[in-house]
This record gives sequence, structure tokens and C-alpha cells, in this order.
Amino acid sequence: MMTMALILLGTASVWADGPKPESSMSNPFVVLMVIIILFLALIIAILARLVTGAAAIKAEKEKQGKSLQAKATTIISVVLLFLSVGLFAQDKPAEAAAAVTDGTINGLAPVAYYSIVSVAFLELLVVIVLSLMLKSFLAAEKQSTLLVAGSTVEIPKESWWDRLNKFKPIQQEATIDLGHDYDGIRELDNRLPPWWLYGFYVTIIFAFVYIYRYHIAHSAPLPREQYALDVAAADKAKAEFLKKAANNVDETSVKRLTDNASLAAGKQIFETSCFPCHGKLGEGIVGPNLTDDYWLHGGSISDIFKTIKYGYPEKGMKSWKDDFSPVQIAEVASYIKSLHGTNPPNAKAPQGTLYKDDQGTGGSANPVDSVKKDTTVIAQH
Amino acid sequence: MQVDKFYYDNKTVKWFAYAVMVWAIVGMLAGLWIAIAMYYPKINLGFAPTTFGRMRPVHTNAVIFAFVGNGIFMGIYYSLQRLCKTRMFSDKLSKIHFWGWQLIIVAGALSLWTGHTSGKEYAELEWPIDIAIAVVWIIFGINMFGTIIKRRESHIYVAIWFYIATWVTVAMLHIVNSLELPISFLKSYSIYAGVQDALVQWWYGHNAVAFFLTTPYLGLMYYFLPKAANRPIYSYRLSIVHFWALIFIYIWAGPHHLLYTALPDWAQSLGVVFSIMLIAPSWGGMLNGLFTLRGAWDKVREDPVLKFLVVAITCYGMATFEGPMLSLKSVNAISHFTDWTIAHVHIGALGWNGFLTFGILYWLIPKMWNTQLYSKKLAGTHFWIGTIGIVLYAIPLYWAGFTQSLMWKAFTDEGQLKFQFLETVTHILPMYMVRSVGGALYLSGAFIMIYNLRKTILQGSFIADEAAEAAPLPKVITTHGNEYWHRWIERRPMKMLLFSLIAVVIGGLIELIPTFMVKSNIPTISSVKPYTPLELHGRDIYVREGCYLCHSQMIRPFRDEVARYGEYSKAGEFVYDHPFQWGSKRTGPDLARIGGKYPDSWHYNHMMDPQSMSPGSIMPSYIWLYDHQIDTTKTPKMIWAMRKLGVPYPEGYEATCNADVAKQELAIQASLKADKLDVKPNDEIVALIAYLQRVGKDIKSAPKEELQTAEKGGNALMGN
Repeated sequence: MMTMALILLGTASVWADGPKPESSMSNPFVVLMVIIILFLALIIAILARLVTGAAAIKAEKEKQGKSLQAKATTIISVVLLFLSVGLFAQDKPAEAAAAVTDGTINGLAPVAYYSIVSVAFLELLVVIVLSLMLKSFLAAEKQSTLLVAGSTVEIPKESWWDRLNKFKPIQQEATIDLGHDYDGIRELDNRLPPWWLYGFYVTIIFAFVYIYRYHIAHSAPLPREQYALDVAAADKAKAEFLKKAANNVDETSVKRLTDNASLAAGKQIFETSCFPCHGKLGEGIVGPNLTDDYWLHGGSISDIFKTIKYGYPEKGMKSWKDDFSPVQIAEVASYIKSLHGTNPPNAKAPQGTLYKDDQGTGGSANPVDSVKKDTTVIAQH
Repeated sequence: MQVDKFYYDNKTVKWFAYAVMVWAIVGMLAGLWIAIAMYYPKINLGFAPTTFGRMRPVHTNAVIFAFVGNGIFMGIYYSLQRLCKTRMFSDKLSKIHFWGWQLIIVAGALSLWTGHTSGKEYAELEWPIDIAIAVVWIIFGINMFGTIIKRRESHIYVAIWFYIATWVTVAMLHIVNSLELPISFLKSYSIYAGVQDALVQWWYGHNAVAFFLTTPYLGLMYYFLPKAANRPIYSYRLSIVHFWALIFIYIWAGPHHLLYTALPDWAQSLGVVFSIMLIAPSWGGMLNGLFTLRGAWDKVREDPVLKFLVVAITCYGMATFEGPMLSLKSVNAISHFTDWTIAHVHIGALGWNGFLTFGILYWLIPKMWNTQLYSKKLAGTHFWIGTIGIVLYAIPLYWAGFTQSLMWKAFTDEGQLKFQFLETVTHILPMYMVRSVGGALYLSGAFIMIYNLRKTILQGSFIADEAAEAAPLPKVITTHGNEYWHRWIERRPMKMLLFSLIAVVIGGLIELIPTFMVKSNIPTISSVKPYTPLELHGRDIYVREGCYLCHSQMIRPFRDEVARYGEYSKAGEFVYDHPFQWGSKRTGPDLARIGGKYPDSWHYNHMMDPQSMSPGSIMPSYIWLYDHQIDTTKTPKMIWAMRKLGVPYPEGYEATCNADVAKQELAIQASLKADKLDVKPNDEIVALIAYLQRVGKDIKSAPKEELQTAEKGGNALMGN
């Protein structure tokens, strides 16, 4: 029930002013943490209930009712305090994350990140403490079980758990026995646990609100609308980054890189992503030989850059622009240029047209083969 | 008053109990096998039947229909007689039911191993077995209702309400989802295609979980838990409310398996909200179970039966809370297609179904053999090993699923995907290894149980016919003034059947009918054309090898998926897909736009030795595709069947289709030849390459306006 309310509130506040692209509820980390926090809260509630129960039993046995009972109550109130802190804390990251986009941890502002993690951590701590207490109570109880078995047990005071579930004390069970008898199975007529019933109502309300918002008011984006928002936001962020990052190389501006660091980076990419088709040494397997003088789509640095970036899908060369950054593509292209004339063993026969690299850098030697192809690949975007 | 003397039939229960134990081992061994295959693909031994794609349906079918199925029948045959105070309606029907069901299981396993599958998850069995299932299910129904009608108990207990709802709903789901057009003794095509097939399949798939794995087991819980704990059921009112709410709401939730797919948005939203509303009705069962133990918790510490039952019910509660959470779109965007789902269903299978079955066996066997359990201590050991097994199974998979999903979605600042698909797979292999250890532990627990029960059986003596007595049911059942309104229907089992059916029919009809009748739900794309006959052959191979169990064909509208795989999938692209192959898990990458991505020779090398093209891949080798040939005598029949199902092949195409097959084969042969690879034209690999090179390509030549309508599609209802 709590969860439902929370999710309702969470989404409602995010979308209060119509569609907005950013929401920390859509951050997978936050979602996971919220789920973990709620799960832990549930475990705490159950453990707390067990501890109070055990404490009550022990208290009675030791005839020291008051002090222990008081102790247990204190524990419970502390637990509840943690719970309320937990619930409260979940609202914070949402605001914080919206304000700060840089210097994030898992896509969250540091404050939000640490507060959400510490809530989970605190809850974990409480779980551990409670389990230890429960263990000690149970151990104590085990020793004295035999002693108590015979004595009559008084009706223990109603705990919050009993009240929460509207339990009928077991001693008064006979009053709600329906008198059914199925192969010895009797049935009681306890009330529906109120939290359960109201939880059910809340989920029904949730259902109506959900349908209303997505399909009648259109105040929340459907998957494909959400997609458009995400892509727009990402494109904007990317454009801004590239403006700053001087990473903005493309096929018209690319220059052959000759420094060792770039070639080593290019080599590494080549040896993880290109070699299945082109061979470890560029000798060609499924794809063409990259070390000879013949090129299917031009052998200049900008042609190679373009081939890697957009690919020639109809011939089996995929586009790598979503996998590697422009600088990385330039590195691979430069590395490939550096393989020229290495004459590896088992080289594949030449394919394509002769290309002689006189200038060393830039300039397409085979202009006929260029630009036209690109549009087919990227038109869909 | 005169008292009837009669005997309960324990023999059928005994046979079902033996079957449970046998199939538990078979199903779990198959599971362990494929868990190991996830990080050691060579375990397939280069042999088709032992490859993941065929073993996985064997595992799921063995666990669901053999292990849990026999568990259901064992529990029902035991409890129903006692709750009705009568012997089963007919010993002969009991016998036919038992042997018929075992025969179906054996036939199912053999046919799955040999690659005969309908390609629909959890409904893989081919049409003759589907018919056999329906027949045996009806025999079971007759036996069950016969027993209920000749009962000596005036009212039917809540467990029986669940049995009745189970029976009628499973019958409906099985028949509707299995409608298929046979082209030979063991091959058929689903009569539904694409989006519609997906909706029917997940309406079935989700409710198979609901009405085969959940409601019958709730019924069993309502009998065996109070018996074992000797406590009254906590709340009769809760039973009534949660029973009716559960069966009514469950049936609507199927579309939550298809969030973000090409299924119309309104259907997805219905799936979400009904899943959320399902929390309370599901938890009603858990609460009624756990609260029944009030005052008996001291026994739980001592009694292995109750320990198993309590963990089972707790796992049920966790899984039925997690399920609705996974149905929320923001969570589903992370969890779907990952191992998170696998972890989730195993909390249900290992925890709820497994542990409840074990608990019942530990209680039932000593009872029927009139003795005590051989060793409580061993049962305790089983309990702990099983519990640790579940934890070791689930936690690594939650971790794996979450990690992999985040890796899929990660972008660099430059706007590139941060990880290649394969990197996200190799990253989680350690988790797969730990998972298989968890599974192995759970399996060894089952072995301990079988040993313990075997010893118990040896020390006892079996009571085949258990004497009992009860007063006959009076002609008129007198009621005492102040009664619950619900008592009325508890005296009328056939009305119970009818009302249950009405409750489960409503949701299905409201979701299915508009998807089939309203054209705007699936906007057509004119460039999407039927498959060529060779591609149809290739598609049959794709289905036969169970490719859909590791590869989806459904690109969701997410930035990362569009960047990784291409344009997201549209409803209109699947109109000729009988059956649909969207898949539900991405152990390997999505294949919805695989067509044209790699050269033919890449596929040739990759299917022969996946690691040669994708180093580190965990895909097994499909070496047999290079030795076997497609059967072109079947081609005309395939074309005929597809046309019958609405695929627009021209009249008389049957006569010329094989010429087209040959033409396309030669083209592929030539393209492979250019890369020095030799194939015979009819080799299965050629057909498979033809199919793979076609998948997802048609949309690329679609007119722009059509694509825009295709994007808007699915919002036709509910105001958009």
C-alpha cells in the first residue's frame, strides 16, 4: 500500500505540469533503490513484530513485564522513526537530481545518491540488529520452553501488529468459529486485515488514475512519446558535449593520426571488433584484405573513416557510428592505414580498385564512390 | 442416523506421488544442464537434442506440466476425496488420467528433443499432443466433478473452489492458444500471426502461471496447511474475497509480458493496471495461509512439513509482489529480456511450487504408509540445502539482470553505446556459474528427500484403500438462518463452474476482441511482403532450434535499442509471422533487424562456430545444419497452409514455389562460393541464412506516410 501511494505520488509530482523529459523515477538506480528500501522496510516490520512478540513472551516468563515491554516498545518506535526517515528521504533525490546534471553518481546528484544509499544502509543495520535481538530472545525462550508449557498463559496486551490486522485474540477464537468442518478443517471468521483491504482500494484507484493520465488526459507519455523525448534530450546533451570536447571529427575533417598512443588505441579496437571479418593482421577473411593496394570503397583516410562510420550494410560491413566515437573511428582508420604493405600471411586476394596514397593524408582519391551511399543508412533518423 | 462406510483410493495418489518425484529429478536435471550451457556451450556435445534451444522447453515443460502437474493431481486426488467424503468418482478414469498424463509427458519430451515444437513458449507441444492434453484434461474434469457431485459433504470447501476454477480456466486457455493448422503429423502453424499471436500467447502464458502454478496450489495450501498445523483457516471471508478477485483480475494481466512492444498501448496499460490490482488478491492467499499458523508458530520450528509450507507461502508472497512491480513500465524497462525475469519465476517455481510439493510429500507419504517420517533430521537438511539453493540461484540472477540492463543502456558522453552486446554477456558469466551451483544444491536436496521418503515407504505398509465413514447427503440441505450469502453457491458446484468461467472470460474477451477486430490496432505497411518459400523453410528451422529462447525479435522504442539494433519494431511488420517469434529473453542480441547486417558468409561461419565470428560468445555450434537438407516436398503444403491462414500467396503458387526455392538457394550458394565456402543448395544452413537475411528488412522500403501511421498505431482506442 505504501509502495503504491509512493509510486502514485512519485509519478504524479513528476508529471504535474505536463510532460517533462527528466525524472529521477525513471533512473533505474533510483527505482532499484526504492524497491530495495521498501523491501527492507517490509522485512523490518516483520522482524519488529517478531521481536515484540518474543519480548512479550520472555517478559511474561521472567515476570519482569514492564521493563522489557518498554524496551521492545522503544525499539519499535526507533524502527518506525527510521521508516519515516526512509520514506521522507525518497522525495529528496527527485528534486536534487533534477537540478544537478553534472558530477553525478549513477545519474544522481551526490547528495541524493548518498542519502538514498544511507537510507538503505540504515535499514540494513536495523535488520541486523533486530535479527540479533530475535535470536537472543529465541535462544532464551528455548531454554525455558519446558518450564512454561504447563502454566496458563495470560492474554498478552494487544500489540500494534494485532491492531493492524484486527486480530481476534486466540483465546476468543471460539466466538468466531463458523462451525464448518471439512475433514477436520475448521474455519474462522476473522475480519479482512484492514491494511490489506485499503491497500486493495488504493490499487484500484491507482488503476483509474493510470488509465486517465495515459489515455484520457495524456499527461504522461506513452512509450513512443517517451522515446521521442529521450532521443531529443540525448541529442541535445551530445551536441553540447561535442561542442566543448573538440571531439567533433567527421569524414571531411579527419586527419591521419601517427602518434603511438592513437595507433595503439586503434589497434586495440581493431583486435576486438574488426578481426573476425578482416583478420588479426588485416589479411582479410570474410571481409577484404586491408593491407594491399586495392580498396572497394576508397583507401584514403577519409574514405576509410566513412566506411567504418556508415558501413556498407548490403556488403556486410555494418555501421559503427553507434559503437565508437568519432575520435575512436579516426584511430581505427589510422591504424588500418598503418597496416598498408605489411604483407601478412594467408592474405586474401585483392578486391576493388587500385588506390595509391601519394598525399599521405586527406582527400578522397575515389570521389565517385563517396557521399551518396550514406543517406540510405541514416535516413531513418 | 445411518452412516455410510466407504474407502478412499490411495493408490492413484501414490502413483502420482511417484511421478512427482521422478519428474522432479528429470526436470531439474534438464534445468541444471541448460544452466551450465549458459557458460559452457560445448555441453551440447555438438548434438541437436542436447542444445539449449531444445533442452530449455524440455526443462520448462517437465517442471511445469510433469513435476507441478503431477503434484496438482496428487494433492487433488488425496484432498478431494476427503473434502467430499467419498471415493473418487471412477477408478478407471483415475487410471486413464494417470497413465494418459505420463504418456503425454514422455511424448512431449521426445518430440521436443527431436525438434517438434510450435514455437510458442510453454505451449511448445505439437498438435497431436495438444489434443491428447485436452482429452486427458476432460477425463480429469469428469472424474473431479463426478466426485464432487456424489459428495457426502453439503458444502464445497475453498480448496475445491480453486480446483474448479483451475480446471475450467486451463481448459479454455489451452484450447484457444493451441489453435493451429497442421501440415503434417508433427508440424503445424499457429492460426494467429504477429501481434495477435503474441497477445493470445501471453494471455495463455501468464495465466498458465496463474491457473496451473498458482490457483491449484492455493487449493492444496488450503487443505494441507491447516491439516499439518491443526489450526482453523484464519478467515473464511478473506477466502471468498481473494478467490473471486484473484480469478477475475489475473486473466487481464497477460499484456504485461509485452510492455514497450508493438502491442497497442491501451492493451499494455490494461496489463499494467490489472497487475497492480492483483497484489492484494494474491496476498490474500498468503495472509490466509500465514495467519492460519497463528498460535502454531512453535510447531513451525519443529515440523519440517510446516517449515517447507511457510517458506513456500513466503516465496509466493514475494513473487506476487515482485510480479506487479515488474509490470510497472519504469521497472519493466530494466528487467524485461534480462535474467531478472528468470530469477523472478524461479522464486515461484523453486520456492512456491517446489517447497509446497515437498512439504505435501513429507506429510502425505507417512500418512498413506501408516508410519512416521524416516528422518526428521534429513528433512531438515533438505530444507536448508533447498533454501540456500534458492538464495544462491536467485541473487546472482537478480544481479546479472540488473547489471546487464544498465550496461545495455549505457552511453558515452559522445553519444555512443558504451558496451558491445557481447561485453555485457561475458560480464555476467560469473553470476551464471553461481546460479548453477544454487540449482545443483536445490537438486541435491530433492535427492535427499527421495532417499528419506524411500526409507519411510520401506518401514511402513501401504494402505491402498483407506476406510472412512460419513452420513449420506440429505436430499434437501437444510440451512440455518444466519448464513453467509456465499454458502448458496458452495452447495452448487456446477454454478461454481459457470460463475468461475464467467469471471475468467470477461478479461480475455475485452483484450482479445478489439485486437482482432479493430484494424487500426495493427496499421499495415505495404512494403511488408510474405516470406519466400525458402525463407519459410528457414523460419521453420529457426523455430525448430528454439532460437527465440535466446534471441528476441522485438526492438523496443528505447534510445539504446534503436542505436544498437535499428528502427524500433512496428506492429505491421509481423502480419505474416505464424507463429510470432518476439521472444522473452535476450541471452543473445535482438534479431529483429538482422537481415542484411552481415554477409552470408558471416552467418555460415557463425552458425558453424559462433566463437570464430564473435569471440567469447556463449552460443553453441549448430553443426548439424550443414549435414541435413530441407524437405522441398513439403513446400507446397506450407504455402497452402499459409494462404489458408491469410498470407496472400497467389493462387496456384504451390506448383511453382519450389522453382523459387531453387533460385534463391543458388544465389546464396554463389555468394558463399565467392568467400570460398561450399554448400549444397538444399542444406538447412542455406534456408536459415535466407530467413535471417530477410528478417526486419521490408520496412526499409516503406513509404514515409505509412510509417507515420504505423507509429501512431495502437492508440486508436482510448481517445488518441
